[in-house]
Amino acid sequence: DWLCSQTLLHAGAEREMKQLIMQRSAVHLESDAFLVCMNHALSTEKEEVMGLCIGEVEINRIVHIHSVIILRRSDKRKDRVEISPEQLSAASTEAERLADMTGKPMRVVGWYHSHPHITVWPSHVDVRTQAMYQMLDQGFVGLIFSCFIEDKNTKTGRVLYTCFQSVQAQKGSEYERVEIPVHVVPRDAIGKVCLESAVELPRILCQEEQDTYRKIHNLSHLDPITKIHNGSNRPNRPIRVLG
Amino acid sequence: VPGFAAGGSGIDGDVSIMAASISGYTFSSVCFHSANSNSDHEGFLLGEVRQEETVSISDTQISTAELLQVVEIHNHDPCAQLFSFYDYAGKVNEDNLNRILKDRRKSVIGWYRFRRNTQQQMSFREQIIHKQLTQLLGVPDLVFLLFSFISTANSSTHALEYVLFRPNRRYNQRITLTIPNLGNTSQQEYKVSSVPNTSLNYAKVIKEHGAEFFDKDGVMKDIRTIFQVYSALQDKVQAVCGEVEQSERVKEKIQEDVNKLKQQIALRKRKTAEEERRLREAQNAESHPTSEENSEPSETSLLSRVAFHAPSAPERPGTSPNPPSYSDLLSQEDSLLSSSSSPTSAALLPRPQAVGSPGHPTPGPLGMGLGLSLGLGSDSLDRQAAGQEDDDDDDDDDDDDDEDSSEYENLVSEAAHLPMVSASVLAQGRPAALSPDGDARGSQTS
Repeated sequence: DWLCSQTLLHAGAEREMKQLIMQRSAVHLESDAFLVCMNHALSTEKEEVMGLCIGEVEINRIVHIHSVIILRRSDKRKDRVEISPEQLSAASTEAERLADMTGKPMRVVGWYHSHPHITVWPSHVDVRTQAMYQMLDQGFVGLIFSCFIEDKNTKTGRVLYTCFQSVQAQKGSEYERVEIPVHVVPRDAIGKVCLESAVELPRILCQEEQDTYRKIHNLSHLDPITKIHNGSNRPNRPIRVLG
Repeated sequence: VPGFAAGGSGIDGDVSIMAASISGYTFSSVCFHSANSNSDHEGFLLGEVRQEETVSISDTQISTAELLQVVEIHNHDPCAQLFSFYDYAGKVNEDNLNRILKDRRKSVIGWYRFRRNTQQQMSFREQIIHKQLTQLLGVPDLVFLLFSFISTANSSTHALEYVLFRPNRRYNQRITLTIPNLGNTSQQEYKVSSVPNTSLNYAKVIKEHGAEFFDKDGVMKDIRTIFQVYSALQDKVQAVCGEVEQSERVKEKIQEDVNKLKQQIALRKRKTAEEERRLREAQNAESHPTSEENSEPSETSLLSRVAFHAPSAPERPGTSPNPPSYSDLLSQEDSLLSSSSSPTSAALLPRPQAVGSPGHPTPGPLGMGLGLSLGLGSDSLDRQAAGQEDDDDDDDDDDDDDEDSSEYENLVSEAAHLPMVSASVLAQGRPAALSPDGDARGSQTS
């Protein structure tokens, strides 16, 4: 009995140590990448947006995020922010391109998503999603941007951002959030990669819109008036973003 | 900017409601510039104000016309540093104002300020400046947007709070600021089902006129046209992006050159100071032959003092993990350190943890240099409650001893609580001056 309990204790301690080792000490987010995240988060209050963070990990376990990639949401249901394998692969390719450009070892180091009208803390789904990513990469970090919040009494608006990872106290127990310090690192100018990411936003929205419209358009049972209604509806979004 | 249509005593008499909006891109841009700034950050808001009249009919009145004033913030013009258009007393300099704004002056509808760890209310100086701007710019209902940044103790969560004020009004001074986005612009959903209609006449009419909407493929003609508009816009944005990228690279290069020049100037100043010291000590040695044993420790103190001074030039200092020993500095003759001894210790106080950090990693307070501590007075007074700033213009050197450490919040951060900073972070130049007051008043180190 004693031996069993000791083994369990050791296993638990080992897991804890592994988690601690892989846990990031801090996240440094370049201010131009921060700009892209903000732009993206503020682009819509109706749904959560998401993207991937690209950067490098330093010896002292600090994650340095140099740029972000805006992603298309395959599942637009509330609070579902999973990334498809194709997107992950595309992000890796982009990271390689960045690595070539900057001469630094870049890779996908985390993800971000927005919480419009919702508190900045990760939901249970978020914590579990984060834990899932950590199974592929234990040092993966998550960022959440909360926006479109207003205190009606003081007419104060708020934008918040937080950084977290997931940890499991014991095998089989619930995943819990771990707070990771995050700092925005000043930059003299906006980097090329971030400018490109910012410009991607309207293009991605247009693609999303086209896909949606195509599905609707293929509904042959719709009568012409409905089709006209849908058609006039359709393409405004990307133009509005560009405006 | 339109004047006020309603009668009465102008601004106060009118009970018009105000709605304000700021574009997401402008908002993010302000956040970007603020994040890049070591100190407070400010700038002007450009946009448009218009009045909309809504007529409503109720049981008691035939019609009530309500005046809705709509403020749209389209863009912002960030100031490169604080005190660029006003002085310590809060007196606005119109020439500087014009130089900053140039032809954008006519689109100014307000101004903004970003501060860390402060209350969401206008400071006395801000109120004074606001009144003058109102007059000089000729905008009766000039708005003021206040950003305040706070963080949790472990810096894992940060909040940016913002309030839009219209200080020229007596009541309802705070207005809700909306950020128009794709989620709130009225857009109807797609219809996935049609209302069934079996009328033959209906079908006939639709078939006849349907051709005007649909092309031979059955695709709506408008779709193609709109897509062309979108493509053209996207191409334009792409082109502008290219231009912005080039100008950003130029800006980076210039900033690098500026930093190098500043380093050279600092080096030159150091050398001149050293030479002067040597001359003076040589003279002292001549007149007091017994003080020769003091010359060596003086040299040490000189070097340690000079080493401490040099990084206070407005560039990022290198990582200096250990503070210079104060026993060296403080044990020397007063002539060397008369104006700097007490603020030195204040500058080294770790920042109070409870109010959070500026949100970016910086080396310890020791890197800030003596020069900074002397020039801090005025801007920090902003953060005190209104009405206490009647001695703005006093010589700050004497006041420094009594100022509490919270003044240093925006410049000095707690190295002990922050993770280690890699050299690459420090090597980046900073767009804003390290000290908000240093540049305006002239560095104390010269």
